[in-house]
Amino acid sequence: MSAVEVRGLGVRVGDATLLSDVELSVEPGTWCTIVGPNGAGKTTLVETVAGLRRPTRGTVTVGGCDIHSLTERRRALRLSLVAQHPVVPPGMSVADFVALGRTAHHGVLRAPNARDREAVAGVLDRLDLAALAPRDVATLSGGERQRAVLARALVQSTPVVVLDEPTAGLDLRHQVELLALLRREVSEGGLAVVATLHDLSLASQFADRLVLLDHGRVVLDDRPRDVLRSDELSRCYGLAFRVVDVDGTDIVVPVIPSVTPA
Amino acid sequence: MTGRPPSASRVAIVALGAAATLLVAVGCGLAIGPTPIGLGRVVGALFAGVGLGHSTLSPLDATIVWQLRAPRMVLGLLVGAMLAVAGGTYQGVFRNPLADPYLLGVAAGAGLGATIAIIDVGGGLSTPAWTPALAFAGALGAVALTWAVGGRGAHAGPTTLILGGVAVAALLTSAQTYLQQQGSPTSIARVYIWLLGSLATASWSSVVLVLPYVVVCAGVCVVAGRALDVLSVGEDESRSLGLPVRRVRLVVVAASSLGTAAVVSVAGLIGFVGIIVPHLVRLLVGTSYRRILPISLVTGAAFLVLCDTVARTVLAPSELPLGVVTAVVGSPVFVVVLSMRRRVVA
Repeated sequence: MSAVEVRGLGVRVGDATLLSDVELSVEPGTWCTIVGPNGAGKTTLVETVAGLRRPTRGTVTVGGCDIHSLTERRRALRLSLVAQHPVVPPGMSVADFVALGRTAHHGVLRAPNARDREAVAGVLDRLDLAALAPRDVATLSGGERQRAVLARALVQSTPVVVLDEPTAGLDLRHQVELLALLRREVSEGGLAVVATLHDLSLASQFADRLVLLDHGRVVLDDRPRDVLRSDELSRCYGLAFRVVDVDGTDIVVPVIPSVTPA
Repeated sequence: MTGRPPSASRVAIVALGAAATLLVAVGCGLAIGPTPIGLGRVVGALFAGVGLGHSTLSPLDATIVWQLRAPRMVLGLLVGAMLAVAGGTYQGVFRNPLADPYLLGVAAGAGLGATIAIIDVGGGLSTPAWTPALAFAGALGAVALTWAVGGRGAHAGPTTLILGGVAVAALLTSAQTYLQQQGSPTSIARVYIWLLGSLATASWSSVVLVLPYVVVCAGVCVVAGRALDVLSVGEDESRSLGLPVRRVRLVVVAASSLGTAAVVSVAGLIGFVGIIVPHLVRLLVGTSYRRILPISLVTGAAFLVLCDTVARTVLAPSELPLGVVTAVVGSPVFVVVLSMRRRVVA
């Protein structure tokens, strides 16, 4: 059974069609990255898959259950989310912030039990955050903060993690570190990942599949090297790309029209 | 800046300080007044009440302590606790530091209800029991109207609720002002006194009336502290963490509004407690509502009883409006704590 199945998904707001006939299937232990230009519908797709937005038509099933028919708690036991602009409340320790990810496990009226505390400690260790546990989460650097947000999602212990631009605002080193951490969870932990990314080179290096979205429709859904080399990519972005093979790694370079100084 | 939230030991010290302040407030509430009755004699009478030793209070002093000061002190504890907890809860559920218990129109509704009773609109409302009854009904009616305007539908959220509260409060306040103008000078003065809040009419019956509301409603709010902590990461992220945001919001808004309506109906519109006490506590113990709400409950109770002691003694035998005292006493305390906190984190 697929970890995530999206069938005939459509989202309309007023007269605007944000998503149309989207089909997607993500297996356990695989990483699917959604790419596309601004306004393609990536965030709408992520929000709908995460159950935060109701589709106008079609279904999203996670582990065989319609995500939109589940209560918030049951949904949070199947799928965790890393939002595009995570809210980091000042005054909350990193440990407490990460522990919020256990809310669905212990319930909102109960305190975390030994198992929850163990899960939090384990993820803090795995993501090299243990030394920062007592720190105010709002005082962390951008990279540390994103790691804490990822830790909160991982401590939910869900089979599926959905991420919307998880590397936004990070420098290149921290982008690579974060994506490598996530890749390890996919490869070693059997996690299914649905993520949006703007950086096509990074997307192709870490994902098993790229889904190219444009005007709310899936244009391509294939292996990264095939998507990067397709003519559709240039058409969707309105920009020519050249794919350079550097030691077996595809690097996407935009072809910038020469500008002659006046 | 230290970069660390307050430690558990610091929180424990603040909680103990709040509890000690509460004991001092209870002592002041019982012992201080125009008739001097020493705290020792009051404590002796308390022990005598549970079979330890003998009371040295004269029958007149005993009546003053147990029939005048004690119900007023206990009512002050209940009102202060409820307003502080409701204010903290509103600040958490709306993620808005300026939220207070009157945000959704409770004050305007209660004010209109009380004015209808005091002005005796339509006749037959002149007995004292009508004022708290109509204030309570007005407060709940206002919140229900606000919820109907801003709390339902696909786009309902904290902002629409707050805007709904602004609209309802404006409408009801204009109606209250109009009715007030129709009253006699005496009734207008009574409306003003009610609007500024007072515990002068406290009795054991008003304590019994309010007690179940405060116990249940403040209890629900304190228990909801963990949910409010989750909500601090925003609505969408809270939902993705498993929090039933709409249900939590409905329950805590209903509990805070019902509790506030109950205490306002017997004590009038006492301002400042609901906004200043949770902020004061937040400055001392950090941003977790699991800490803020229970400590605000104790601090709010102590604060209001101390303010009421000032209100009924400095100009005795006349009284200062309680809402004025809460602002005059609370503001400097808040400014001092704020500046101390700034020095610590600088």
